[in-house]
Amino acid sequence: MGQAGDKLARLLDTFVVLSIPHIELMQPSDIMMALNSVDANTSVSGVCQGFIGGGISGEAMLLFNDTSFADLAKIMKYEGELDEQAERELLMDTTNVLFGACLNGIAEQIDMEFSYGPPMVLGQHQPISALFDSQTAKWDQALVTEISYELENYNVHCDLLIVMTESSLELLFKKLDYLLA
Amino acid sequence: MSKADNFLKDFHWLMDVLQFIDVGLVILDRDFKIQLWNAFMQNHSAMDSADVLGKDIFETFPELPENWFRGKANSVFSLHNSAFTTWEQRPYLFRFRSYRPITSSAEYMFQNSTIIPLKDTTGNVDHICLILYDVTEVAMNRLKIQAANAELHRISRTDGLTGLLNRKTWEIELETEFKRYTRYGQMSSLIMFDIDHFKRINDGHGHPAGDEVIRQTAATAAACIRDVDIAGRYGGEEFAILLTNTPPEGAKVVAERIRQRIEQLEVFYEGQAIKFTVSLGISGLSPNFSETTHWIDAADKGLYEAKRGGRNNSVIFTGE
Repeated sequence: MGQAGDKLARLLDTFVVLSIPHIELMQPSDIMMALNSVDANTSVSGVCQGFIGGGISGEAMLLFNDTSFADLAKIMKYEGELDEQAERELLMDTTNVLFGACLNGIAEQIDMEFSYGPPMVLGQHQPISALFDSQTAKWDQALVTEISYELENYNVHCDLLIVMTESSLELLFKKLDYLLA
Repeated sequence: MSKADNFLKDFHWLMDVLQFIDVGLVILDRDFKIQLWNAFMQNHSAMDSADVLGKDIFETFPELPENWFRGKANSVFSLHNSAFTTWEQRPYLFRFRSYRPITSSAEYMFQNSTIIPLKDTTGNVDHICLILYDVTEVAMNRLKIQAANAELHRISRTDGLTGLLNRKTWEIELETEFKRYTRYGQMSSLIMFDIDHFKRINDGHGHPAGDEVIRQTAATAAACIRDVDIAGRYGGEEFAILLTNTPPEGAKVVAERIRQRIEQLEVFYEGQAIKFTVSLGISGLSPNFSETTHWIDAADKGLYEAKRGGRNNSVIFTGE
Protein backbone atom coordinates (compact mmCIF):
# COMPACT_ATOMS: atom_id res chain seq x y z
CA MET A 1 0.00 0.00 0.00
CA GLY A 2 2.84 2.33 0.82
CA GLN A 3 4.31 1.72 -2.61
CA ALA A 4 1.01 2.41 -4.24
CA GLY A 5 0.71 5.61 -2.27
CA ASP A 6 4.20 6.62 -3.30
CA LYS A 7 3.50 6.06 -6.99
CA LEU A 8 0.29 7.96 -6.69
CA ALA A 9 1.90 10.87 -4.90
CA ARG A 10 4.45 11.15 -7.69
CA LEU A 11 1.87 11.02 -10.43
CA LEU A 12 -0.47 13.50 -8.80
CA ASP A 13 2.30 15.64 -7.37
CA THR A 14 0.73 15.90 -3.94
CA PHE A 15 1.07 14.09 -0.63
CA VAL A 16 -1.15 11.13 -0.13
CA VAL A 17 -2.32 10.30 3.36
CA LEU A 18 -3.11 6.64 3.78
CA SER A 19 -4.91 4.92 6.59
CA ILE A 20 -3.64 1.66 8.00
CA PRO A 21 -5.38 -1.02 5.97
CA HIS A 22 -8.16 -2.80 7.73
CA ILE A 23 -8.33 -6.44 6.68
CA GLU A 24 -11.11 -8.78 7.60
CA LEU A 25 -13.10 -11.77 6.39
CA MET A 26 -16.55 -10.43 5.79
CA GLN A 27 -20.02 -11.43 4.72
CA PRO A 28 -21.97 -9.25 2.31
CA SER A 29 -23.95 -7.74 5.16
CA ASP A 30 -20.72 -6.88 7.01
CA ILE A 31 -19.52 -4.96 4.01
CA MET A 32 -22.73 -3.00 4.00
CA MET A 33 -22.20 -2.19 7.67
CA ALA A 34 -18.60 -1.18 7.13
CA LEU A 35 -19.61 1.05 4.25
CA ASN A 36 -22.36 2.65 6.24
CA SER A 37 -20.01 3.43 9.08
CA VAL A 38 -17.83 5.33 6.63
CA ASP A 39 -20.38 7.44 4.83
CA ALA A 40 -23.70 6.80 6.51
CA ASN A 41 -25.90 9.65 5.36
CA THR A 42 -23.89 11.31 2.69
CA SER A 43 -24.21 10.67 -0.98
CA VAL A 44 -21.23 9.08 -2.63
CA SER A 45 -19.96 8.12 -6.04
CA GLY A 46 -18.54 4.66 -6.54
CA VAL A 47 -16.56 2.75 -9.11
CA CYS A 48 -15.73 -0.93 -9.32
CA GLN A 49 -13.09 -2.82 -11.22
CA GLY A 50 -12.65 -6.57 -11.43
CA PHE A 51 -9.32 -8.34 -11.46
CA ILE A 52 -8.34 -11.94 -11.96
CA GLY A 53 -5.15 -13.87 -12.35
CA GLY A 54 -3.52 -17.15 -11.36
CA GLY A 55 -6.40 -18.31 -9.19
CA ILE A 56 -6.90 -15.05 -7.35
CA SER A 57 -9.77 -12.84 -8.25
CA GLY A 58 -11.92 -10.14 -6.85
CA GLU A 59 -13.19 -6.67 -7.26
CA ALA A 60 -11.93 -3.36 -6.06
CA MET A 61 -14.40 -0.66 -5.14
CA LEU A 62 -13.66 2.99 -4.70
CA LEU A 63 -16.04 5.35 -2.95
CA PHE A 64 -15.67 9.09 -3.23
CA ASN A 65 -17.52 11.36 -0.94
CA ASP A 66 -19.22 14.00 -2.90
CA THR A 67 -17.49 17.18 -2.00
CA SER A 68 -14.43 16.60 -4.05
CA PHE A 69 -15.04 16.69 -7.79
CA ALA A 70 -13.66 20.15 -8.49
CA ASP A 71 -10.48 19.29 -6.61
CA LEU A 72 -10.24 15.95 -8.30
CA ALA A 73 -10.43 17.67 -11.66
CA LYS A 74 -7.62 19.98 -10.61
CA ILE A 75 -5.40 17.12 -9.56
CA MET A 76 -6.06 15.05 -12.65
CA LYS A 77 -5.44 18.17 -14.76
CA TYR A 78 -8.85 17.84 -16.24
CA GLU A 79 -9.96 20.72 -18.39
CA GLY A 80 -13.41 21.74 -19.38
CA GLU A 81 -16.72 21.93 -17.64
CA LEU A 82 -17.58 19.42 -14.94
CA ASP A 83 -20.87 18.00 -16.13
CA GLU A 84 -22.08 14.53 -15.27
CA GLN A 85 -20.27 13.05 -18.24
CA ALA A 86 -17.01 14.69 -17.24
CA GLU A 87 -17.43 13.56 -13.65
CA ARG A 88 -17.95 10.06 -14.86
CA GLU A 89 -14.77 10.11 -16.84
CA LEU A 90 -12.92 11.66 -13.95
CA LEU A 91 -14.18 8.88 -11.70
CA MET A 92 -13.04 6.22 -14.13
CA ASP A 93 -9.61 7.77 -14.58
CA THR A 94 -8.94 8.36 -10.92
CA THR A 95 -10.10 4.88 -10.10
CA ASN A 96 -7.94 3.39 -12.74
CA VAL A 97 -4.87 5.15 -11.41
CA LEU A 98 -5.62 4.25 -7.80
CA PHE A 99 -6.55 0.65 -8.49
CA GLY A 100 -3.67 0.18 -10.87
CA ALA A 101 -1.19 1.48 -8.33
CA CYS A 102 -2.65 -0.61 -5.55
CA LEU A 103 -3.42 -3.88 -7.31
CA ASN A 104 -0.20 -3.92 -9.29
CA GLY A 105 1.57 -3.48 -5.96
CA ILE A 106 -0.22 -6.46 -4.51
CA ALA A 107 0.34 -8.54 -7.63
CA GLU A 108 4.04 -7.77 -7.54
CA GLN A 109 4.31 -8.74 -3.88
CA ILE A 110 2.77 -12.13 -4.45
CA ASP A 111 4.48 -12.54 -7.80
CA MET A 112 1.48 -12.69 -10.08
CA GLU A 113 -0.03 -10.69 -12.86
CA PHE A 114 -3.68 -9.74 -12.91
CA SER A 115 -5.87 -8.91 -15.81
CA TYR A 116 -8.30 -6.12 -15.23
CA GLY A 117 -11.76 -5.48 -16.54
CA PRO A 118 -12.82 -1.98 -17.37
CA PRO A 119 -13.88 0.11 -14.37
CA MET A 120 -17.62 0.37 -13.94
CA VAL A 121 -19.30 3.40 -12.47
CA LEU A 122 -21.77 2.11 -9.89
CA GLY A 123 -23.48 5.41 -9.41
CA GLN A 124 -22.92 9.11 -8.93
CA HIS A 125 -24.15 11.13 -5.97
CA GLN A 126 -26.18 8.36 -4.43
CA PRO A 127 -26.59 6.84 -1.01
CA ILE A 128 -24.34 3.86 -0.42
CA SER A 129 -27.27 1.49 -0.33
CA ALA A 130 -27.91 2.28 -4.00
CA LEU A 131 -24.39 1.26 -4.96
CA PHE A 132 -24.10 -2.06 -3.24
CA ASP A 133 -26.90 -4.47 -2.56
CA SER A 134 -25.83 -7.06 -0.01
CA GLN A 135 -29.07 -8.95 -0.52
CA THR A 136 -28.24 -10.06 -4.02
CA ALA A 137 -24.65 -11.08 -3.32
CA LYS A 138 -24.17 -14.75 -4.12
CA TRP A 139 -21.20 -15.42 -1.87
CA ASP A 140 -20.78 -16.20 1.81
CA GLN A 141 -17.55 -14.56 2.72
CA ALA A 142 -14.68 -12.70 1.18
CA LEU A 143 -11.46 -11.10 2.26
CA VAL A 144 -11.97 -7.37 2.47
CA THR A 145 -9.18 -4.84 2.67
CA GLU A 146 -10.20 -1.30 3.39
CA ILE A 147 -7.94 1.70 2.99
CA SER A 148 -8.82 5.35 3.02
CA TYR A 149 -6.93 7.86 0.98
CA GLU A 150 -6.71 11.55 1.48
CA LEU A 151 -4.85 14.01 -0.68
CA GLU A 152 -3.16 16.74 1.23
CA ASN A 153 -4.42 20.27 0.56
CA TYR A 154 -7.30 18.98 -1.49
CA ASN A 155 -10.78 18.07 -0.47
CA VAL A 156 -10.46 14.58 -1.82
CA HIS A 157 -11.29 11.69 0.38
CA CYS A 158 -11.96 8.20 -0.81
CA ASP A 159 -12.23 4.70 0.52
CA LEU A 160 -10.81 1.78 -1.33
CA LEU A 161 -12.20 -1.67 -0.74
CA ILE A 162 -10.53 -4.70 -2.20
CA VAL A 163 -12.82 -7.68 -2.02
CA MET A 164 -11.13 -10.99 -2.78
CA THR A 165 -13.34 -13.96 -3.50
CA GLU A 166 -13.57 -16.94 -1.24
CA SER A 167 -11.97 -19.20 -3.82
CA SER A 168 -8.84 -17.03 -3.89
CA LEU A 169 -8.21 -17.28 -0.19
CA GLU A 170 -6.40 -20.60 0.00
CA LEU A 171 -3.89 -19.64 -2.65
CA LEU A 172 -3.50 -16.18 -1.19
CA PHE A 173 -2.70 -17.54 2.27
CA LYS A 174 -0.17 -19.93 0.75
CA LYS A 175 1.53 -17.04 -0.96
CA LEU A 176 1.51 -15.03 2.25
CA ASP A 177 3.00 -17.91 4.24
CA TYR A 178 5.75 -18.10 1.69
CA LEU A 179 6.35 -14.36 1.89
CA LEU A 180 6.49 -14.33 5.68
CA ALA A 181 8.52 -17.50 6.05
CA MET B 1 12.30 -29.53 -37.56
CA SER B 2 14.77 -27.20 -35.93
CA LYS B 3 13.94 -24.95 -33.03
CA ALA B 4 14.16 -21.91 -35.24
CA ASP B 5 11.65 -23.38 -37.64
CA ASN B 6 9.26 -24.11 -34.83
CA PHE B 7 9.64 -20.61 -33.52
CA LEU B 8 8.92 -19.15 -36.92
CA LYS B 9 5.87 -21.31 -37.32
CA ASP B 10 4.51 -20.32 -33.91
CA PHE B 11 5.27 -16.73 -34.62
CA HIS B 12 3.37 -16.97 -37.87
CA TRP B 13 0.30 -18.32 -36.11
CA LEU B 14 0.45 -15.62 -33.51
CA MET B 15 0.67 -12.95 -36.14
CA ASP B 16 -2.34 -14.43 -37.88
CA VAL B 17 -4.30 -14.27 -34.65
CA LEU B 18 -3.36 -10.64 -34.09
CA GLN B 19 -4.21 -9.83 -37.66
CA PHE B 20 -7.60 -11.48 -37.84
CA ILE B 21 -8.97 -11.35 -34.32
CA ASP B 22 -12.24 -9.41 -34.31
CA VAL B 23 -11.03 -6.55 -32.16
CA GLY B 24 -9.01 -3.57 -33.23
CA LEU B 25 -5.32 -3.58 -32.32
CA VAL B 26 -3.13 -0.53 -32.67
CA ILE B 27 0.41 -0.26 -31.34
CA LEU B 28 1.83 3.20 -30.77
CA ASP B 29 5.27 4.37 -29.78
CA ARG B 30 6.04 7.28 -27.47
CA ASP B 31 5.65 9.76 -30.32
CA PHE B 32 2.20 8.36 -31.07
CA LYS B 33 3.35 6.95 -34.39
CA ILE B 34 1.39 3.91 -35.50
CA GLN B 35 3.43 0.71 -35.36
CA LEU B 36 0.74 -1.92 -35.85
CA TRP B 37 -2.65 -1.73 -37.48
CA ASN B 38 -4.50 -5.01 -37.69
CA ALA B 39 -7.16 -6.21 -40.10
CA PHE B 40 -10.06 -5.01 -37.95
CA MET B 41 -8.67 -1.48 -38.03
CA GLN B 42 -7.83 -1.72 -41.73
CA ASN B 43 -11.27 -2.92 -42.67
CA HIS B 44 -13.26 -0.48 -40.59
CA SER B 45 -11.14 2.55 -41.38
CA ALA B 46 -10.64 1.59 -45.03
CA MET B 47 -6.98 2.39 -44.53
CA ASP B 48 -4.30 -0.11 -45.28
CA SER B 49 -1.34 -0.71 -42.98
CA ALA B 50 0.87 0.85 -45.60
CA ASP B 51 -1.18 4.06 -45.41
CA VAL B 52 -0.86 4.52 -41.67
CA LEU B 53 2.26 2.76 -40.38
CA GLY B 54 4.81 5.21 -39.05
CA LYS B 55 2.28 8.06 -39.22
CA ASP B 56 1.19 10.26 -36.34
CA ILE B 57 -2.14 8.92 -35.12
CA PHE B 58 -3.60 12.36 -34.38
CA GLU B 59 -2.81 13.61 -37.88
CA THR B 60 -4.21 10.49 -39.48
CA PHE B 61 -7.37 10.48 -37.35
CA PRO B 62 -8.31 14.04 -36.44
CA GLU B 63 -11.48 12.79 -34.67
CA LEU B 64 -9.31 11.36 -31.91
CA PRO B 65 -9.36 13.90 -29.02
CA GLU B 66 -5.66 14.55 -28.77
CA ASN B 67 -5.23 16.08 -25.30
CA TRP B 68 -7.49 13.57 -23.73
CA PHE B 69 -5.83 10.63 -25.42
CA ARG B 70 -2.35 11.87 -24.56
CA GLY B 71 -3.38 12.14 -20.91
CA LYS B 72 -4.63 8.58 -20.89
CA ALA B 73 -1.59 7.26 -22.73
CA ASN B 74 0.82 9.11 -20.45
CA SER B 75 -0.63 7.44 -17.40
CA VAL B 76 -0.04 4.10 -19.12
CA PHE B 77 3.55 5.00 -19.98
CA SER B 78 4.33 6.25 -16.50
CA LEU B 79 2.33 3.88 -14.30
CA HIS B 80 2.62 0.77 -16.47
CA ASN B 81 -1.01 0.27 -15.84
CA SER B 82 -3.90 -0.17 -18.25
CA ALA B 83 -6.34 2.60 -19.04
CA PHE B 84 -9.94 2.09 -20.06
CA THR B 85 -12.65 4.00 -21.80
CA THR B 86 -16.21 2.91 -22.39
CA TRP B 87 -18.80 4.01 -24.89
CA GLU B 88 -20.74 5.61 -22.07
CA GLN B 89 -17.99 8.18 -21.64
CA ARG B 90 -17.15 8.54 -25.28
CA PRO B 91 -19.29 6.76 -27.83
CA TYR B 92 -16.28 6.17 -30.04
CA LEU B 93 -12.60 6.97 -30.50
CA PHE B 94 -12.43 6.28 -34.21
CA ARG B 95 -15.38 7.36 -36.27
CA PHE B 96 -16.17 4.09 -38.00
CA ARG B 97 -19.48 4.08 -39.78
CA SER B 98 -21.83 1.34 -38.76
CA TYR B 99 -21.45 -1.35 -41.39
CA ARG B 100 -24.60 -3.42 -40.93
CA PRO B 101 -27.53 -1.81 -42.72
CA ILE B 102 -30.05 -4.44 -41.67
CA THR B 103 -29.37 -5.35 -38.07
CA SER B 104 -27.90 -2.15 -36.72
CA SER B 105 -29.66 1.17 -36.35
CA ALA B 106 -26.56 2.96 -35.08
CA GLU B 107 -24.88 5.56 -37.20
CA TYR B 108 -21.42 4.88 -35.84
CA MET B 109 -19.71 1.96 -34.18
CA PHE B 110 -19.84 2.29 -30.40
CA GLN B 111 -16.45 1.40 -28.95
CA ASN B 112 -14.90 0.38 -25.68
CA SER B 113 -11.16 0.56 -25.55
CA THR B 114 -8.28 -0.49 -23.38
CA ILE B 115 -4.76 0.87 -23.54
CA ILE B 116 -2.16 -1.55 -22.23
CA PRO B 117 1.55 -0.99 -21.67
CA LEU B 118 3.93 -3.13 -23.74
CA LYS B 119 7.13 -3.96 -21.92
CA ASP B 120 10.32 -4.56 -23.83
CA THR B 121 12.90 -7.15 -22.82
CA THR B 122 14.32 -4.83 -20.19
CA GLY B 123 10.99 -3.98 -18.64
CA ASN B 124 10.76 -0.50 -20.16
CA VAL B 125 7.52 0.68 -21.68
CA ASP B 126 8.14 2.46 -24.96
CA HIS B 127 5.04 1.20 -26.71
CA ILE B 128 1.40 0.97 -25.86
CA CYS B 129 -1.32 -1.11 -27.42
CA LEU B 130 -4.78 0.25 -27.98
CA ILE B 131 -7.41 -2.47 -28.05
CA LEU B 132 -10.70 -1.47 -29.59
CA TYR B 133 -13.92 -3.41 -29.05
CA ASP B 134 -17.04 -3.06 -31.16
CA VAL B 135 -19.84 -2.75 -28.59
CA THR B 136 -22.49 -1.31 -30.87
CA GLU B 137 -25.00 -4.01 -30.09
CA VAL B 138 -24.55 -3.76 -26.32
CA ALA B 139 -24.73 0.01 -26.47
CA MET B 140 -27.86 0.07 -28.61
CA ASN B 141 -29.59 -2.41 -26.32
CA ARG B 142 -28.62 -0.40 -23.25
CA LEU B 143 -29.83 2.83 -24.83
CA LYS B 144 -33.12 1.19 -25.74
CA ILE B 145 -33.58 -0.06 -22.19
CA GLN B 146 -32.79 3.37 -20.80
CA ALA B 147 -35.31 4.97 -23.14
CA ALA B 148 -37.92 2.38 -22.18
CA ASN B 149 -37.25 2.94 -18.49
CA ALA B 150 -37.55 6.68 -18.90
CA GLU B 151 -40.86 6.18 -20.67
CA LEU B 152 -42.10 3.82 -17.95
CA HIS B 153 -41.02 6.32 -15.34
CA ARG B 154 -42.98 9.04 -17.12
CA ILE B 155 -46.05 6.86 -17.52
CA SER B 156 -45.99 5.83 -13.88
CA ARG B 157 -45.93 9.46 -12.79
CA THR B 158 -48.49 11.01 -15.08
CA ASP B 159 -52.19 10.77 -15.68
CA GLY B 160 -52.94 9.24 -19.05
CA LEU B 161 -55.78 11.54 -20.03
CA THR B 162 -54.32 14.92 -19.14
CA GLY B 163 -50.57 14.41 -18.97
CA LEU B 164 -50.55 16.12 -15.55
CA LEU B 165 -49.01 14.30 -12.59
CA ASN B 166 -51.19 11.51 -11.26
CA ARG B 167 -52.54 11.83 -7.77
CA LYS B 168 -49.96 9.61 -6.08
CA THR B 169 -46.98 11.39 -7.60
CA TRP B 170 -48.50 14.79 -6.98
CA GLU B 171 -49.03 13.92 -3.32
CA ILE B 172 -45.37 12.92 -3.00
CA GLU B 173 -44.39 16.30 -4.45
CA LEU B 174 -46.74 18.00 -2.01
CA GLU B 175 -45.17 16.09 0.87
CA THR B 176 -41.69 17.20 -0.24
CA GLU B 177 -42.76 20.83 -0.44
CA PHE B 178 -44.40 20.57 2.98
CA LYS B 179 -41.18 19.23 4.49
CA ARG B 180 -39.23 22.01 2.84
CA TYR B 181 -41.59 24.51 4.46
CA THR B 182 -41.22 23.03 7.94
CA ARG B 183 -37.46 23.26 7.50
CA TYR B 184 -36.94 26.55 5.66
CA GLY B 185 -40.27 28.32 6.15
CA GLN B 186 -40.64 29.16 2.48
CA MET B 187 -44.23 30.12 1.70
CA SER B 188 -46.09 28.07 -0.88
CA SER B 189 -49.71 27.93 -1.93
CA LEU B 190 -52.12 25.33 -3.06
CA ILE B 191 -54.99 25.63 -5.52
CA MET B 192 -57.67 22.95 -5.62
CA PHE B 193 -60.23 23.37 -8.34
CA ASP B 194 -62.91 21.46 -10.17
CA ILE B 195 -65.21 21.82 -13.13
CA ASP B 196 -68.65 23.24 -12.27
CA HIS B 197 -71.59 20.94 -12.97
CA PHE B 198 -69.37 18.43 -14.66
CA LYS B 199 -72.06 15.78 -14.42
CA ARG B 200 -74.27 17.86 -16.70
CA ILE B 201 -71.56 17.90 -19.35
CA ASN B 202 -71.20 14.14 -19.12
CA ASP B 203 -74.95 13.57 -19.17
CA GLY B 204 -75.64 16.09 -21.89
CA HIS B 205 -72.77 15.45 -24.29
CA GLY B 206 -71.51 11.99 -23.34
CA HIS B 207 -68.41 10.78 -21.57
CA PRO B 208 -66.00 11.29 -24.50
CA ALA B 209 -67.02 14.94 -24.50
CA GLY B 210 -66.44 15.04 -20.73
CA ASP B 211 -62.97 13.61 -21.29
CA GLU B 212 -62.21 16.31 -23.82
CA VAL B 213 -63.38 18.96 -21.35
CA ILE B 214 -61.09 17.51 -18.68
CA ARG B 215 -58.18 17.39 -21.12
CA GLN B 216 -58.59 21.00 -22.19
CA THR B 217 -59.11 22.20 -18.64
CA ALA B 218 -55.81 20.56 -17.70
CA ALA B 219 -54.05 22.06 -20.71
CA THR B 220 -55.41 25.52 -19.91
CA ALA B 221 -54.33 25.32 -16.29
CA ALA B 222 -50.90 23.99 -17.28
CA ALA B 223 -50.46 26.97 -19.63
CA CYS B 224 -51.19 29.42 -16.79
CA ILE B 225 -48.53 28.23 -14.35
CA ARG B 226 -44.73 28.42 -14.17
CA ASP B 227 -42.35 25.54 -14.79
CA VAL B 228 -41.66 25.23 -11.08
CA ASP B 229 -45.34 24.84 -10.19
CA ILE B 230 -46.66 21.34 -9.90
CA ALA B 231 -50.05 20.47 -11.35
CA GLY B 232 -51.79 17.15 -10.84
CA ARG B 233 -55.09 15.49 -11.56
CA TYR B 234 -56.47 14.91 -8.10
CA GLY B 235 -59.64 13.06 -8.97
CA GLY B 236 -62.17 12.77 -11.82
CA GLU B 237 -62.76 16.43 -12.59
CA GLU B 238 -60.71 17.77 -9.71
CA PHE B 239 -57.25 19.27 -10.10
CA ALA B 240 -54.57 20.45 -7.72
CA ILE B 241 -51.76 22.92 -8.30
CA LEU B 242 -48.86 23.48 -5.97
CA LEU B 243 -47.32 26.93 -6.41
CA THR B 244 -43.89 26.97 -4.86
CA ASN B 245 -42.53 30.07 -3.21
CA THR B 246 -45.83 31.90 -3.72
CA PRO B 247 -48.07 33.61 -1.13
CA PRO B 248 -51.85 33.03 -1.35
CA GLU B 249 -52.37 36.46 -2.94
CA GLY B 250 -50.08 35.42 -5.78
CA ALA B 251 -51.93 32.15 -6.09
CA LYS B 252 -55.18 34.07 -6.30
CA VAL B 253 -53.86 35.92 -9.37
CA VAL B 254 -53.01 32.60 -11.00
CA ALA B 255 -56.38 31.12 -10.00
CA GLU B 256 -58.24 34.06 -11.51
CA ARG B 257 -56.26 33.74 -14.72
CA ILE B 258 -57.20 30.06 -14.96
CA ARG B 259 -60.83 30.83 -14.15
CA GLN B 260 -61.11 33.55 -16.80
CA ARG B 261 -59.42 31.54 -19.52
CA ILE B 262 -61.67 28.59 -18.90
CA GLU B 263 -64.71 30.82 -18.84
CA GLN B 264 -63.74 31.97 -22.33
CA LEU B 265 -62.86 28.49 -23.51
CA GLU B 266 -65.10 26.67 -25.95
CA VAL B 267 -64.57 22.95 -26.27
CA PHE B 268 -65.80 21.59 -29.58
CA TYR B 269 -66.90 18.04 -29.58
CA GLU B 270 -68.62 16.47 -32.59
CA GLY B 271 -69.78 19.83 -33.84
CA GLN B 272 -71.10 21.02 -30.49
CA ALA B 273 -69.54 23.87 -28.55
CA ILE B 274 -69.37 23.21 -24.81
CA LYS B 275 -68.93 26.12 -22.43
CA PHE B 276 -68.16 25.58 -18.78
CA THR B 277 -66.60 27.18 -15.72
CA VAL B 278 -64.42 26.18 -12.78
CA SER B 279 -64.36 27.01 -9.08
CA LEU B 280 -61.09 27.31 -7.22
CA GLY B 281 -60.02 27.19 -3.59
CA ILE B 282 -56.68 28.55 -2.41
CA SER B 283 -54.70 27.99 0.74
CA GLY B 284 -51.28 29.27 1.72
CA LEU B 285 -49.07 27.10 3.91
CA SER B 286 -49.49 27.81 7.57
CA PRO B 287 -47.63 26.77 10.72
CA ASN B 288 -50.99 25.48 11.94
CA PHE B 289 -50.83 22.59 9.52
CA SER B 290 -49.11 19.59 11.02
CA GLU B 291 -49.54 17.46 7.95
CA THR B 292 -50.33 17.83 4.27
CA THR B 293 -53.94 16.70 4.60
CA HIS B 294 -54.67 19.82 6.68
CA TRP B 295 -53.36 21.91 3.83
CA ILE B 296 -55.47 20.06 1.26
CA ASP B 297 -58.50 20.38 3.56
CA ALA B 298 -58.00 24.13 3.78
CA ALA B 299 -57.84 24.52 0.00
CA ASP B 300 -60.87 22.26 -0.28
CA LYS B 301 -62.78 24.50 2.10
CA GLY B 302 -61.86 27.45 -0.10
CA LEU B 303 -63.22 25.49 -3.05
CA TYR B 304 -66.42 24.79 -1.13
CA GLU B 305 -66.87 28.49 -0.37
CA ALA B 306 -66.28 29.32 -4.03
CA LYS B 307 -69.01 26.85 -4.96
CA ARG B 308 -71.36 28.26 -2.37
CA GLY B 309 -70.60 31.78 -3.59
CA GLY B 310 -72.15 30.91 -6.94
CA ARG B 311 -69.36 28.98 -8.73
CA ASN B 312 -67.04 30.37 -11.45
CA ASN B 313 -65.19 31.92 -8.59
CA SER B 314 -61.95 31.66 -6.58
CA VAL B 315 -61.61 31.97 -2.81
CA ILE B 316 -58.63 32.09 -0.47
CA PHE B 317 -59.42 30.10 2.63
CA THR B 318 -58.16 32.01 5.63
CA GLY B 319 -59.09 29.78 8.58
CA GLU B 320 -62.05 28.91 10.69
